[in-house]
Amino acid sequence: MKRHTYVALLATLLSATAWGQEVSLYGTTMAEIWKQNIPGSEQATYTAATQYLGIDATKLGSDNLSLHLFGWGVKDFGDSSPTIYNGSPNGSYSGGYLSFGYLQYRFDQANAEIKAGRFAINQGTGFEQVDGVSARTDLRGGFSISAFGGRPVLYHTQDLSSQLNYDFQKDFIFGTRLAWRLPQVTEIGLSYLEDGTHAAQNLPQPTTEDFTRRQVGLDLLLTPTTSFDLRGRTVFDVAKHPEVAPGAPAHNDIAEHDYSATWRIGSQVAVTGNFAERNFFAYFAGSNMPSLFRQDDHDMFRGWGGKVTWTTEANFQLVGDYRHTHRETFGDSNRLGGEMRWTFNEKAVLFGLGGHIVNAVDTKFVDPSTPYLSLSYKEARIWTLVTKGQFSASLDGILQRYDSGNPYLAGVQNVYEVVGSLGYQATANIKVSGDVTYGTNPVAKHETQGLLKAEYRFGSAKKGGQ
Amino acid sequence: MARNTILQVLALVLGLGMMTACGLVSPEASFTPTHNYALGAGRPICTECHSNDLAKGALKTYATFDHTPAFVKNHRFQATQDSNTCAVCHAPSFCIDCHGGKVPMKPAKLLADRPDRDTPHRGDFLTLHKIEGKLDPSSCYRCHGRANNDQCRACHR
Repeated sequence: MKRHTYVALLATLLSATAWGQEVSLYGTTMAEIWKQNIPGSEQATYTAATQYLGIDATKLGSDNLSLHLFGWGVKDFGDSSPTIYNGSPNGSYSGGYLSFGYLQYRFDQANAEIKAGRFAINQGTGFEQVDGVSARTDLRGGFSISAFGGRPVLYHTQDLSSQLNYDFQKDFIFGTRLAWRLPQVTEIGLSYLEDGTHAAQNLPQPTTEDFTRRQVGLDLLLTPTTSFDLRGRTVFDVAKHPEVAPGAPAHNDIAEHDYSATWRIGSQVAVTGNFAERNFFAYFAGSNMPSLFRQDDHDMFRGWGGKVTWTTEANFQLVGDYRHTHRETFGDSNRLGGEMRWTFNEKAVLFGLGGHIVNAVDTKFVDPSTPYLSLSYKEARIWTLVTKGQFSASLDGILQRYDSGNPYLAGVQNVYEVVGSLGYQATANIKVSGDVTYGTNPVAKHETQGLLKAEYRFGSAKKGGQ
Repeated sequence: MARNTILQVLALVLGLGMMTACGLVSPEASFTPTHNYALGAGRPICTECHSNDLAKGALKTYATFDHTPAFVKNHRFQATQDSNTCAVCHAPSFCIDCHGGKVPMKPAKLLADRPDRDTPHRGDFLTLHKIEGKLDPSSCYRCHGRANNDQCRACHR
């Protein structure tokens, strides 16, 4: 779709707000300034302004028809900005993006709805952003069905001329999910996704980069008692791939297993266990950065772990967690830690602290000219959020301590960042706040950032932003 | 092939219409699209007010949607099955803060004044990602594999 078509559609959508009986405009305006002191370079100062803006217009002629728009724009005023937005290599940058803009019709019956425009959809196998149409409805007997189709939103990571193949392959996206629910006991869903119809092997001149996906997903929720639930999904890669060479291992067609089970013991304790396995050849299918997310059929990830949560009636919460991970090409890691969280005075004061230890193998030694590093580190965090009347204040500190000898740390072993924020709720619909961040990291010996933020909402439509 | 897929979609839409005509669509009334009032800071526990009844539409206990630490970490499961229940309290822009196809800044920076929220990439994640990316690149892929990776190409070409 050409740019002027998008502009015409956006103008049409915006003009539709005039019909809305309830219209809300909400947004956040942010001004940033930050200073960096990088050893070996002159101290630099950067400035940028960011605007988020959304519109919700409901009751567009009918009580059931609504319009939702949201996007952002940014202007970098720095003289020699680093690569902060869209990979701008140098110089100032301005840009923007329409995150979503769609009309929605919600039926009075069967939780049925239809959307048309640009929207994000999380259904079955993936989280997709689509320029198209979606629909869902509940059916009799506990069944429900949903479907979407349209043009996938494209994300270019290189100049357009080198991504013509990406644009050509990702011409159409379609997904559907059929589910069945037994009240309070189970939900089982079966989904299908087709993203792009021109697979690399079907092109007139076959290429090595395949940006298309065909997946079947099976998702599950099982709650045999009110104190136990099991949920998760398995995703299968059903795309046709070139034949593997004789003697080579066949591709694993299971992209992902991802399951979690929770057992609630009384009203205060919950134990959660999880298991995930992802085979990179199938799981990374469709990446727009195949150079980074390589479809290596010899690489996979497997992780399992658990979390114990104890919540008292005095609004104190203690969480302990452990996770073991295995990656075929790098080895194993163990992550162990905990968090505490207090809530006082009707949530007017929140306080938390936590710490984790990650014990992992080193990266593989390749040769003396290739740096390798320890993957072990420790992390600690402490934070508080206080609200009193129209004022709010927060403080958040995080420290990461890496093993010495890591070639990427420039001699820095402790990396920390502290963020302080003050806010004032001027009216029910307007809040202004300011953040100051200070830290040190391997790139900048000292880094200070300031951010001013104004959040506002005008109009009468309900909800939005939370 | 694209034309065939379009025809499949049209057939599906037509099929949905026929199901309506045939009475396959549930006769139940739709549940309320918005929560009665906005919730304050912190993670809401639905069962504090809703006891252990079934949530309309989802047909699951409200405990299923209690925002416990495990729920926050694994909310992808609920979002897949009950996105319209999520929409009762959350506007789409809430999801976009983290899950936008393109975002101008990391969520931890956008929500620096909300340390109670589990936003990803707090602190100096630029350094940490060199480790986490090796331990589990599939966790990066969820958000950065097919979108939201403009900044990745600065180094990963």
